[in-house]
Amino acid sequence: MEGEIELIYEIGHISIIIASFLSLLSTGVFAFNLIGKYPFFSTLIKNFSKIGFFFVLISFLILEYAFINSEFSLDLVVNNSHTTKPLIYKISGLWGNHEGSILLWILILSFFTYLIAKSKSIKSSQFHITVLGIQNIILFLFCIFLLFTSNPFSRNIDPPLEGFGLNPLLQDPGLAFHPPMLYIGYVGLSVSFSFAIAILLNKKVEFDWFNYLKPWTLLTWAFLTSGIALGSWWAYYELGWGGWWFWDPVENASLMPWLISTALIHSITVTQKNNQFYNWTILLAIFGFSFSLLGTFIVRSGLLTSVHAFASDPTRGVFILIILALSTLIPLLIYGFKNTHRIDTKYFIFSKETGLLLNNIFLITSTITILIGTLYPLILETITGSKISVGAAYYNATFSPIMIPFIIIMAFAPFLGWTKTPKKSLLRNMLIIFALAFVSSFIIFKFNTTSVFGIICGYLSILLFFSVGFTFFKKLQNLKTLPLNYYGMLVAHLGLAIFLFGVTGEQFFKKESSSQIKINEVIAIGDYSVKLENVKNFKIDNYLSETGLFKITKAENFVGKIKSEQRFYPVEKTKTTEAGIFNFILSDIYITMGEGNLKDGWVVKAYFNPLVKCLWFGAFIMAIGGILSLLSKANRRYI
Amino acid sequence: MNPKSQRLIILFFFLTLLGLSTFLVLKSLEDNIVYFYSPTDINEKILSNEIDLSKRIRIGGLVKENSILKEGKKISFKIHDGIDEILVIYNGILPDLFREEQGIVALGKIENKNFSAIEILAKHDENYMPKEVSDMLKKNGKWKGKLN
Repeated sequence: MEGEIELIYEIGHISIIIASFLSLLSTGVFAFNLIGKYPFFSTLIKNFSKIGFFFVLISFLILEYAFINSEFSLDLVVNNSHTTKPLIYKISGLWGNHEGSILLWILILSFFTYLIAKSKSIKSSQFHITVLGIQNIILFLFCIFLLFTSNPFSRNIDPPLEGFGLNPLLQDPGLAFHPPMLYIGYVGLSVSFSFAIAILLNKKVEFDWFNYLKPWTLLTWAFLTSGIALGSWWAYYELGWGGWWFWDPVENASLMPWLISTALIHSITVTQKNNQFYNWTILLAIFGFSFSLLGTFIVRSGLLTSVHAFASDPTRGVFILIILALSTLIPLLIYGFKNTHRIDTKYFIFSKETGLLLNNIFLITSTITILIGTLYPLILETITGSKISVGAAYYNATFSPIMIPFIIIMAFAPFLGWTKTPKKSLLRNMLIIFALAFVSSFIIFKFNTTSVFGIICGYLSILLFFSVGFTFFKKLQNLKTLPLNYYGMLVAHLGLAIFLFGVTGEQFFKKESSSQIKINEVIAIGDYSVKLENVKNFKIDNYLSETGLFKITKAENFVGKIKSEQRFYPVEKTKTTEAGIFNFILSDIYITMGEGNLKDGWVVKAYFNPLVKCLWFGAFIMAIGGILSLLSKANRRYI
Repeated sequence: MNPKSQRLIILFFFLTLLGLSTFLVLKSLEDNIVYFYSPTDINEKILSNEIDLSKRIRIGGLVKENSILKEGKKISFKIHDGIDEILVIYNGILPDLFREEQGIVALGKIENKNFSAIEILAKHDENYMPKEVSDMLKKNGKWKGKLN
């Protein structure tokens, strides 16, 4: 029996080796195809890609089997699992660590390669071979990375009876799904990358090919959006700091590819429409993947301190850095030499093209400011040795101001026509929504805040609502004929308006207070008062809980009861805070309880977070917009 | 408008934006970066008056055994780096991972040779140790390898 189990892991390990050989063979086919063309090359590379995926899948399933059955003969399972853990966290334990998460990355990458190999929509076999070739090069590099620096199947000779468990902060349903979603987004950018390089490598310019980039970029974008939102939601209720975004390097690492892919979606739209932004779209697709690799590098190298910092191992960092350098520099060289394509079509200043150009300029500028803030501490430490950190204040001073004109242009955009817009109607439409937004934002927010940013942010969210609403209203007569991707655009923009609404409430109208209270004492927060009614101790599954029961009242009227928890995980010797959250429709009251005892009381921190739900709801709506657009006829044809 | 002047306008706009954002970035980097010191560094800098007391800084180290004192919401404790130590005063809820001989990072200012913290972070990796603190301990030769 023992021997059989051991054999299974050998199979898992060998499957990855076979998959990496298949990707190497595909790379070979791609290289030979550059020299001489044979019709069977296309069949060959497609089949290699398809079979490769099944081998990766086998390996993944075997590792998952080891996690579910707590097979402690694998080092990885010992370090990241425990028999008492609930099943869902045994499953998600696989990607709660470095080795497993790289295997998940490879699985998604090879699955996407499989889908491309299966695609019937790609007519040109040369194009098909090139795209698969690039995908397989990336796949090969990651397989090598896994096998040489982070083998998930490394075994220990003397299996212990019990594992070390998974970091309790990660034992959460929100976080079980956060990494896979984010990875689908990151890896999706590799597909846009491969298509862009394939377009670049082809001698003849085929504008039709840009259509293939669109659905993959939309998929990437939708998954990145929901992955980031899920992570932010997790940080909000699990970390107990009462915030939803901390400008942490790892958060920035996911925001940068998101901004680039947002820019890419808009840029492709122009290229599809009238062949403009041809070179720019290719460049963005290249950088999109660079940023997704940079994100992996930041998370995996452990060079930057972060809430999320996982295992740090310099050799891994160096390896990812090499992949990053290769996949940025080589494409840029090809781009520099091959790219002589210029299109001189005319468009006017007041046109959709200009609007989308500005959209891209603002998105790229904001990405660069985040990049500087994220990497500056690293660079300074390397040069001068002094350790610094760049906090939220930096981003508030740089990122936020750039977003103001960005949103204004976004509100403008639906009224602009392709190539040219009659100035009169444009001005009239703009004046109407500017005025409407001005009046309504004052009615809604009342603005008894001193923060100028708060007023601007509130105004912009309302402006965007009106812009989307007005566009929809103008199209009322021909709703049925509107393509689904147009609705997708409107929904995504609406999502951002909802998100900004949430930002305004949470950032500028939030109330907080903290004090040490005994049982039956009260802490006041805005119009509400929160009374500590009781504190109880429990032992549940794999942790001990100290739970505070709170009663919320507003002007003597009962509002509700909630509990806030401190958990102690004996296996991991770690405490976590489970914030108590009382949900109103859009707002919430958020309570965390620190250490304490009957005599001195407990330190309690309470927040009133107005409109906070709009943040994640808005992001969710944005992702829906992306999916709607993906499902439209125009995009579905090219999957 | 001909394409050439159109391109010039766009270029002009882009350069203005680039200049403006560079200015914003540099300005806010200057104002908003926060330096990190070890207890040894900070005591040296206090003695030699090398430190700008009005600026926020971060310090880090291990929480000294038996040094945690609580008076209501006010908490004081010492952190050390194996060579020197400093008293930290803090009002608020301590992070989940706060305990004796645990590596922490505090954000705040120097007041009367003590450190008055506004934020205590026990940000951690899988080995429950902030990177700044482990680097510092390695430098001082006090690194004992992985905790836990």
